[in-house]
Amino acid sequence: MTHPAIPCYCKPSAPLRKRRFLMAFLILVMACGTGAFAEDVRQPNNPPSSLPATHLLGFADARNNSKGTVSIEGDALQFKKNGKAAVQVKIASIHALLLGDLSRQVGGVPVTLAKAAVPYSGGRALSLFTHKKYDTLTLEYVDAEGGFHGAIFELKKGHAKGLRNELLAKGAQVSNAGNEPAKQTAEASSENK
Amino acid sequence: MKTNRPALFVMTTVLLALAIAQPARLSAESATQWTVQVSKVDPGAVRLTPSFQVAIYENLLQELSKTKRFKEVLRDGDQKTANATDLILLKTTVEKYTAGSETRRAVTTVTGATKLTVRTQLSTPDGKIILERTVHGNVRFMGSNLRATHNLARNIAKTIKTSSLPERPSSVVTKATNSTPSDDVVVVEFP
Repeated sequence: MTHPAIPCYCKPSAPLRKRRFLMAFLILVMACGTGAFAEDVRQPNNPPSSLPATHLLGFADARNNSKGTVSIEGDALQFKKNGKAAVQVKIASIHALLLGDLSRQVGGVPVTLAKAAVPYSGGRALSLFTHKKYDTLTLEYVDAEGGFHGAIFELKKGHAKGLRNELLAKGAQVSNAGNEPAKQTAEASSENK
Repeated sequence: MKTNRPALFVMTTVLLALAIAQPARLSAESATQWTVQVSKVDPGAVRLTPSFQVAIYENLLQELSKTKRFKEVLRDGDQKTANATDLILLKTTVEKYTAGSETRRAVTTVTGATKLTVRTQLSTPDGKIILERTVHGNVRFMGSNLRATHNLARNIAKTIKTSSLPERPSSVVTKATNSTPSDDVVVVEFP
């Protein structure tokens, strides 16, 4: 009495094959997601040479509220707007670096119009979900004639600290370099008098 | 004799306009004789975030330049002030600050306003106050919190523009005591 010894897993049925394929696909997606997340977490500690940033005001001759990249080139901090010439400031002339954060509504005019179009003031509720938190880096530096300048950059959450540390490592003359900067919060509800 | 009446009318109008415009131009010229140095913003007893201090200072420099009221607008610490004879200082002290929230403004409309109140002083290098005002800058509906600093700077510049400044030192010389014309000692008295 001989039966052909073919194990069941050798010839899987069609539904089983489909399930296996789905499982493999899910594992692949999760692996990719974990990799991307790990990279995102690593970024603040070891910042890349150039970071996307919005120049809010005050940095050399750059236009206010312009988007571009901020980077360290040699002994200078450089801001480059897409397709425009870079402006830079010597790192040695920087004497204060302050971290902060701010929360702002995203989407610009299209989202604002869309919110206004939602009936029964539903757009207001939408505002609860259309805001994003950013880091800010405030620099204080002096020009060649001794004039005091202040500049503010808006960076992605977690990027400002890395940039600050890199500037300190490159020789920014910050008086409180050893201290952890006081975190400034642009959104507080209490009234200061 | 035939006279060209429309041409005469146009000519008279032009002459009248020139006559009216002339004194205004002269007074604007005399007002632009001053050089102003903007000092760093003093937070006073208020816990104002450094980004707000920097933003008020930088916006003030921009807005004052736009008014064309001053010959030159200098930064704090600028070495050019050593040679400036017609210098006045602009000091800004924060008196009150209410931190707002853009999200709260967007959701409720009536709450979450960012409010700033400052005392602004124009003075001579020896400390005589020329102008002192309390100015406000708020964001109530649209815009980020930092926009309050822009509104504040614009209001300060507007206040200075509409105020009458004293004449330039050289034109209000009241007493000159010296024999050699090259190194006159000049005593200036402001109204």
